[in-house]
Amino acid sequence: METQTHKPHRPAQSGSKADKKGKGKQKTGFNEKAFAPKSGRRADRQARRNVERDEARLHVPLVNRTPDDEPPPVIIAIVGPPGVGKTTLLKSLVRRYAKQTLSEAKGPITVVAGKKRRLTFIECYSDLNSMIDIGKVADLVLLMLDGSFGFEMETFEFLNILQAHGFPKVIGILTHLDLIKKQATLRATKKLLKRRFWNEIYQGAKLFYLSGVLNGRYPDTEILNLSRFISVMKFRPLIFRNTHPYLLADRIEDLTSREEIRTSKGRCDRTVTLYGYLRGTNLRQSTKVHIPGVGDMTIKAVTNLGDPCPLPDADSEKRRKLSEKKKLLVHAPMSDVGGVMYDKDAVWINVPGNFTRGATDVPHGEGERMVIDLQDVDETLEETVARSNIRLFGSSSNPLTIDTRHHDGVVSYSDDDDEEEEGEGEDASEGDSEFEEGEDDFSEDEQANEGSGKDDEQARTNPSNTGRHTLRTVVRSTPGFSSKEKEGGEVAFADSDSELGLSDDEGRGRAGEIMYADDEKQISSDDKEEFDEDDEDDVPAWKIGLAAKASAAFEDLNRRKRRKDWVAMIYSSSLGPEQIVNGANATGVKPDEIDDDFFRVNSSSAANQDDLDMTKEVLSPGALREWEDEGVLDALRTLFITGDHGDGEADQETNVLKNPEGGDFVDLEARTAQPAPTEFEGLDAGTRALVEGYRPGTYVRIELASVPCEFIEHFDPRYPIIVGGLLAAEERMGYLQVRIKRHRWFARTLKTNDPLIFSLGWRRFQSVPIYSLDDHSIRMRMLKYTPEHMHCYASFYGPVALPNTGFCAFNALSGETAAFRVSATGVVLDIDRSTKIVKKLKLTGVPFKIFKNTAFIRDMFTSALEVAKFEGASIRTVSGIRGQVKKALNKPEGAFRATFEDKVLMSDIIFLRAWYSIQPRKFYNPVTSLLLSDKSSWCGMRLTGQIRRDEGLKTPLAVNSTYKPIERPARRFNALKVPKKLQAALPYASKPKLMKPQSKQTYMQKRAVVLEPEEKKAIALLQQIRALRKDQVARRREKQQERKEAHRKKVQKDEAKDAEKEKEKKKVYMRAAGMKSKREADIEEGRSRKRRKT
Amino acid sequence: MESRSLVNFSGHQYLRQRLVLSILTGKHVRIDKIRSEDKDPGLRDYEVSLLRLLEKVTNGSVIEISVTGTAVLLKPGVVSGGPITHDCPLSRSIGYFLEPLIMIAPFSKKPFQLTLRGITTDDNDLSVDLIRTVTLPHLQLFGISDGLELRIKRRGAPPEGGGEVQFLCPIVKEVKTLNFVDPGKIKRIRGIAHAVRVNPQFSNRMIDASRSVLNRFIPDIYLYSDVYKGDESGKSPGYALSLLAESTTSAIHCSEAASTPGENPEDIALLATRALLSEIRHGGCVDRKHQSLVLLMMVLGSEDIGQCRMGEPSVRTIQFLRDIKIFFGSVFNITPADPTDSSNTELLYSCLGTGYVNVNRSLA
Repeated sequence: METQTHKPHRPAQSGSKADKKGKGKQKTGFNEKAFAPKSGRRADRQARRNVERDEARLHVPLVNRTPDDEPPPVIIAIVGPPGVGKTTLLKSLVRRYAKQTLSEAKGPITVVAGKKRRLTFIECYSDLNSMIDIGKVADLVLLMLDGSFGFEMETFEFLNILQAHGFPKVIGILTHLDLIKKQATLRATKKLLKRRFWNEIYQGAKLFYLSGVLNGRYPDTEILNLSRFISVMKFRPLIFRNTHPYLLADRIEDLTSREEIRTSKGRCDRTVTLYGYLRGTNLRQSTKVHIPGVGDMTIKAVTNLGDPCPLPDADSEKRRKLSEKKKLLVHAPMSDVGGVMYDKDAVWINVPGNFTRGATDVPHGEGERMVIDLQDVDETLEETVARSNIRLFGSSSNPLTIDTRHHDGVVSYSDDDDEEEEGEGEDASEGDSEFEEGEDDFSEDEQANEGSGKDDEQARTNPSNTGRHTLRTVVRSTPGFSSKEKEGGEVAFADSDSELGLSDDEGRGRAGEIMYADDEKQISSDDKEEFDEDDEDDVPAWKIGLAAKASAAFEDLNRRKRRKDWVAMIYSSSLGPEQIVNGANATGVKPDEIDDDFFRVNSSSAANQDDLDMTKEVLSPGALREWEDEGVLDALRTLFITGDHGDGEADQETNVLKNPEGGDFVDLEARTAQPAPTEFEGLDAGTRALVEGYRPGTYVRIELASVPCEFIEHFDPRYPIIVGGLLAAEERMGYLQVRIKRHRWFARTLKTNDPLIFSLGWRRFQSVPIYSLDDHSIRMRMLKYTPEHMHCYASFYGPVALPNTGFCAFNALSGETAAFRVSATGVVLDIDRSTKIVKKLKLTGVPFKIFKNTAFIRDMFTSALEVAKFEGASIRTVSGIRGQVKKALNKPEGAFRATFEDKVLMSDIIFLRAWYSIQPRKFYNPVTSLLLSDKSSWCGMRLTGQIRRDEGLKTPLAVNSTYKPIERPARRFNALKVPKKLQAALPYASKPKLMKPQSKQTYMQKRAVVLEPEEKKAIALLQQIRALRKDQVARRREKQQERKEAHRKKVQKDEAKDAEKEKEKKKVYMRAAGMKSKREADIEEGRSRKRRKT
Repeated sequence: MESRSLVNFSGHQYLRQRLVLSILTGKHVRIDKIRSEDKDPGLRDYEVSLLRLLEKVTNGSVIEISVTGTAVLLKPGVVSGGPITHDCPLSRSIGYFLEPLIMIAPFSKKPFQLTLRGITTDDNDLSVDLIRTVTLPHLQLFGISDGLELRIKRRGAPPEGGGEVQFLCPIVKEVKTLNFVDPGKIKRIRGIAHAVRVNPQFSNRMIDASRSVLNRFIPDIYLYSDVYKGDESGKSPGYALSLLAESTTSAIHCSEAASTPGENPEDIALLATRALLSEIRHGGCVDRKHQSLVLLMMVLGSEDIGQCRMGEPSVRTIQFLRDIKIFFGSVFNITPADPTDSSNTELLYSCLGTGYVNVNRSLA
């Protein structure tokens, strides 16, 4: 068969169609005419809109306090409802970065992600407290959503928490997409969820899709993509975090002595150290900190530790082997990494079934290496100690000997009773390291004193185990330490040493020796001690050789330090300010007293005035007499612009002078020409920490004293521990006024004086707010309930937060409710020590005697004293007659005379509107969730109703509160009677026109009507016609009824038939649906099994 | 929470700065052994008056003075500001009361409108002229400028006083970081010579005497003669000369001398002039009398490094630095301004600001 050929389409070569297609207008794809404004007004509007949009995009520039060179790790929180795959994602990401699979991922996990970026992953347990805390520190949130289920309440709650505390970056991650089988449904679901997600975050927010789980991890390619997104993420500084130092603790340790715990049966307050990277601003030692869930703490000590997870530098990159076997750095003390896990009071080492010492080709985990190192020790602590010659004082002849082994500090291994045979070796190595550390300390001190940049070589033998050598704090006895200096902090300042040295003879001798060496120095002994803080306290044998070297260095140092060392003298000497200024030996001598007698009078008065707290110094003509000398005067000329100056900058300044008008501007330029330094360089570590605190990005150990024991006992690594630094103001308590709005998803209204849990600043606490609204800018008027869809004010007692800090509030934190838990959000407006909220109070009374415009009122007050208090107050009747309280009456107690603008009635109610000021209750209850064994079961103050429900009590019923039918006796009004005489005198129009009803019948009513014969006939005919018509209609209706009946029957028949059909259809459908649901249930079961497994 | 750090001090000295620091940080302060060894123990009337004034400008402060008056406990409240009037006792001048309040005023809830009555110029404290012409410009270094004003309504010389000043101060959210290391060269000298209830010629005599010394240095000298008459001149006779020298970089050095019975105006003028010269010789960007103010504002600055070049610290400044360490935990790094020149005694004070934010400022 021949195939049919179609005529091919020939495009038009000419005409309008050819014109349209051929010409370039469509090729460019943008027709500028199409978007050009049609009118000038429209153009104006468009331009304004564009400007507004651009303006909205702008933010107030905020200085980023995070250092660029070594920033702290970025905190990436993995948040989502339970069972959504958080742990799987965490493990997958850690594997991506560290090439290790964690068997147990708990607590923060820090990995190196690039040259300048480290990441700290933390999984957020889906408990509201954890979500709040994580929301305050996370830089990036991986918000996980179950694609097969959709959004859950936790997700929305978390987003609202984020919004209240500054919004960090959020990446959405959809999981469980493999459970959606049908491609179309999958697409639709993705689209739907994406749209909702975009609505919540912003249009175009990143949403990732993770397909199924392979080998307990998400597919590597998808994780790789995710990690690329993470690596390029940029972070905007958030105001609150940019003004507070904080730290996400990745390790916790209890330093309390075992003995104390034993004697108090574990109920004693603990000394706890927390480890972590500092973030936000610089942390000073004097800063108070708040640990959400625990409370406010005072920092006992801060120690700068070596970075456990350092950024790669050129050196480390050189050493690193590229082999995949080499495991990358991961710092996760709370998880089980490399077989080592740090618990609150022990270090757990997991050793695989077997390992051989000789096999160096197989890389060992950290724990394995520890155990192997322990086996390397060939002498015990006892032997080591016996060998060493520690002398208590430099003068002691015999070295210290140790009879019994004793441990100070906490030896974390000793708990482990499984490894008894290793116990000895362990102790030895521990002692060794301890010993080395002591040595280290000394040499460091010494170096600091000498000011030489010599580095100590034996700093750390085991760099990968940086944190461990600081397990114990070396507490040196400091007898010469004044209490004030102790307050100053534990930064090892040299003066303690020098004072220590002075306490024993040997040290003093030595100090004298040094004094000899620089006798030309004016600042005498006391002063010098600042410099020669040296090693004379208990110099061990191994250090004796250094003495000569040290003294040589001192001479050098003193020569260089011709000037006073002001920092040391001011901050770490016990000299008085006068002694510092005048030199230590010029104590009592006043310069005035040297002068001749003429000025004696003045000087004695000056001595008297010295006592005063005065700003100006006493002008002594004697001291100023030097200015009579011409030479002295001329010497000062160089300080004036007119004076001659040798250097080049003079020219510049004369230039400045040439332009006197623009002087200020030039001055400004001159001042800003030299930029301020960004950091204190060239200071030794101790002074630097004192001056600027600890910089963000450093790994520190914070020691806290008197921490509640429950914190340690009920420690659970799944819950984040945040150490939030407080500003000076935030330590105080006060009344906060906030602008608050009930969340529109929160089902109930909020009531004044009902407790509310606030998450404000670092803190979570319960307080009792009073809601109020501004009443015409006159007063703050109390509200009983929060208004709908409107902001109102709330005032409550609590810890001060800076104005403009956002917060969110909850009625309960427990996860039992299915409803939305964020009950309100808002912002702090004002801090004060009192509030000005009033509520309306109406006092009512009744008149008991009425004169013209005066009435006596009773039942408003109970005593004449009360009346006296309200004299002059304005009162009003219900009908609106205004009046004034005048004076109390004698007779009925509490009655008073009042005047009105018109005569009041006896039936009037008189009321006095007053404003009663109320103060919020001083109730502050921190949410101490971390102190509980069950972290989510915190229960604060309950409402009366809740208590009754819990206790099974009945609500007491006050008799006065019951509703009774209101009986209002009908008021009888007497008829208005106008006296006859008056009536007569009235004009007609004003006369009351009272008429009786007509008693006689009218003519129309009483006349009789008789019909004519024709009329009768006509009426009869009409009647007949009507009767016929009636009959006709009745018959017609009957017939219609019959027709209808027949039709109804027919319809019924049809319906029955249809129903039959429908039933059949339904049967088929239900059978199919049943099978489908059964299938789905099977799948669901399979999934939940899977969840349990993970 | 409630066991808030209580700071303890002993002795009556440096009372003002300790009270100021306490109010700024909110830390409770207890000062005991106030003249406990004196034959007239306890607080003086002006100190009690200062405490009263501090109570007026704050809301919720609790001040407890022991029965003997030798111990004070201050639980500071919120600095509220607003219109306040205070009569200063005649034992100290207005400067005594104004100096601490200038440190507090920028951090109040409402702008300060403080009226003080008493002695305007005396030998112990900064006179109102110096506060107006020197202290307030120092505040401007930190961004406190709009609406900052001191009006001298009446002058009052000791012993009877009768002066009145009005101090207006705006509120700020936070103070700027100072970087002031170039002292520049002195470019002009200004001065105010005032005389009340004495021959108006006295001020001219003072001006002439002062010019006789200063004219050699610089031509740009304006010394104003400020004569108050009638009701505005207070109750006692007196005269004084206050001088200030401003550098090309707006560094200001000042001095003044007030009349004492039996001294002629020329001597007073010479005293003030020579004091100004020694102040200039002392060097730095900040006058010695204002070291504490500038250092405090540096500590209160944002969390950047502020630095300022000054002369050697005065006795009060040293104690102030120590007190700052106790209250704020801030420590200054003090290094020689010019390490190469050993004869130069000027020092560079640098510190990291605490990022102090005015919490009292209301948004409502």
